[in-house]
Amino acid sequence: MARFACLLMIGLLLLAGCKSATQGGTSTALSGVDLVNMTSDMAAKIGSDAEVNAAYAKKGPLKIVVMPVVNNLRAEVIPRGAAYAFTGRVRVLLSRHAPDRFTWIMNRDAFYDLRSRERELQIDAGPSPDTVQPEYALTATFSSLGDENIKRREQFYVCVFELTNLQDRTLLWSGSYEIQKTTVRGFLD
Amino acid sequence: MFCIGHRFSQMAQIYTDEKPHAKDAITRLSYLCTSVLICVICGLFSAGCQQNKTYSKGSAAVRDYYDGDFARAIQKLEPLSQKTDENYVLNNLRLGSAALTAYSLNESEAAFLRAWEVINAGGVNSGGRSVAAVWIDEKLKIWKGEPYERAMASFYLGLVYYIQRDYNNARGAFENALFKLRDYADPDKKSSDYAEQESTFVLAHLMLGRTYLRLGRDDLANESFGLARQLQPRLSQLADPGAHEGSNVLLVVDFGYGPKKVTDYDGAIVGFAPTPATVGRLPAPRVIVNDAEYPLAGLGEPTIDTIAMAQDRRWQSIDTIRTVKTTVGTGLIAAGAGYGIYKGAKGDFEAQDAAIVAALIGAGAVLKATSQADTRQWEMVPRTVYLLPLKLPPGTHDITVSFPEMSNLQQSWVGLVAPAEGDATYYMRMNRWWPGPWQWPPAPVTIHPPEQKRE
Repeated sequence: MARFACLLMIGLLLLAGCKSATQGGTSTALSGVDLVNMTSDMAAKIGSDAEVNAAYAKKGPLKIVVMPVVNNLRAEVIPRGAAYAFTGRVRVLLSRHAPDRFTWIMNRDAFYDLRSRERELQIDAGPSPDTVQPEYALTATFSSLGDENIKRREQFYVCVFELTNLQDRTLLWSGSYEIQKTTVRGFLD
Repeated sequence: MFCIGHRFSQMAQIYTDEKPHAKDAITRLSYLCTSVLICVICGLFSAGCQQNKTYSKGSAAVRDYYDGDFARAIQKLEPLSQKTDENYVLNNLRLGSAALTAYSLNESEAAFLRAWEVINAGGVNSGGRSVAAVWIDEKLKIWKGEPYERAMASFYLGLVYYIQRDYNNARGAFENALFKLRDYADPDKKSSDYAEQESTFVLAHLMLGRTYLRLGRDDLANESFGLARQLQPRLSQLADPGAHEGSNVLLVVDFGYGPKKVTDYDGAIVGFAPTPATVGRLPAPRVIVNDAEYPLAGLGEPTIDTIAMAQDRRWQSIDTIRTVKTTVGTGLIAAGAGYGIYKGAKGDFEAQDAAIVAALIGAGAVLKATSQADTRQWEMVPRTVYLLPLKLPPGTHDITVSFPEMSNLQQSWVGLVAPAEGDATYYMRMNRWWPGPWQWPPAPVTIHPPEQKRE
């Protein structure tokens, strides 16, 4: 009887050991951890950059429009939400830590999207971006070298963030974040 | 099996009454056999029943889809697509297809994306799932589809982005579709296999070329179209950049049904039916724009044939395991039966022999029962996809796509918009029961209230 119980227990443990489709495995896609690390790094670099601080000292708060990430990744997609999240979090961190130095202006697409949902979300989208002229744009372009075969999938990411002067197209600040991700294909993959 | 066990118990009782010293050995053996059998049967039931439940719900939704009730199909698939069980990818692909056909693009994108994330991940089935899939039921593994299904999943995700004019993401998805067919190829024998396998999925090269044109990368577009022409010379006109440069309407037409997964050798060996040799050739479409035939002039070529692509399925380790299990299972059953017959013929069939026969046959039956191949598949995959780039005057048009060779199978849309700049892409799933005419833009999908269970 003890043996039977033992075998039954092993069988149940085996079944319990099955992870769900989203719990198991590893992915080469950028994750929430990358989002936090990358945006924290970029926000810290922008906040402490000498040229950015000099521009603030000269002109006062910098009026910045935030753009979604441009996807130049090989064989990867960046859904709309994630495309805004990467630059959006940099904005949130900077507006929290240096509220006096930056004035953030919503980009046109995001504004009109928000305005179309004003009633649903019960929020005020604020003044149109057309009434406020931004001086700088915070952009991000993600590129990667990727490959996949029967044994593994690899991506080497270079994520470039830039603060560009919209008047003269000069680069006020630029920073990049690099990360390599590899996932090994399992027996039943 | 239970009859054998019962008979065995009766005989063992008689035997041990006569020879008490053998009682321990027989008791141990009977406990072991019974424990193993019960354990396996419990495992099969607990796992198999759960799996069948979600799978059959998904299959019911597929029937609704083919009945033309997209709303009901979506309603059934939505909750299933959130369950992160072994059918998670499959149900999301089904939902993606149903939502795409109903032009519920946000839902389609989300569903295809959920499936894509798991398809692209590695080690999803590691640990307990691998062991369970090997020893209990292959259907316990998280289904990720055959390479051609994975490629189609990436293609449809790309198409959803392309329809929404999100060309960067469309490019990424089409590139990924090309990766998926490398699953067939051995990376150590790159040169020959890669070219051969990618040639069957020229559809992604074509869409990639068109996407690059929209992104203003004519150099890369020419490269993609050139590769498509090189791989499939019969598509030379469709892969001509000139056919796409001035095109302001793209019709993406899904035709026919993909291959069906079938089993052989007591359900242990998986294959696909029909084969290219047993099906007719793919027909040529006709396009009628505002009651006048549009000159396709070589553009109406089928881009892929999933029936042919499926035949390239690579033999996997799990196939070997199943085959070995069913062969050994058959051998054990035969050995058990043979042993019993031999002993019976000799006239010295005793209780131990009954135990041996029962154990051999039982073990063989269990091995055979657990060696059934996984026949889950994405039922919405078409046999082929036609890409029809049209150059139409800006404005609205009534467009019909028909297949005269297929008893005039057709689908009509009223009021399709041809833009003055850029392009508009329209997806059509050919089905005898959905001839239309459908009005553009399609009405949003109305989800029926859930059915009340009768007391």
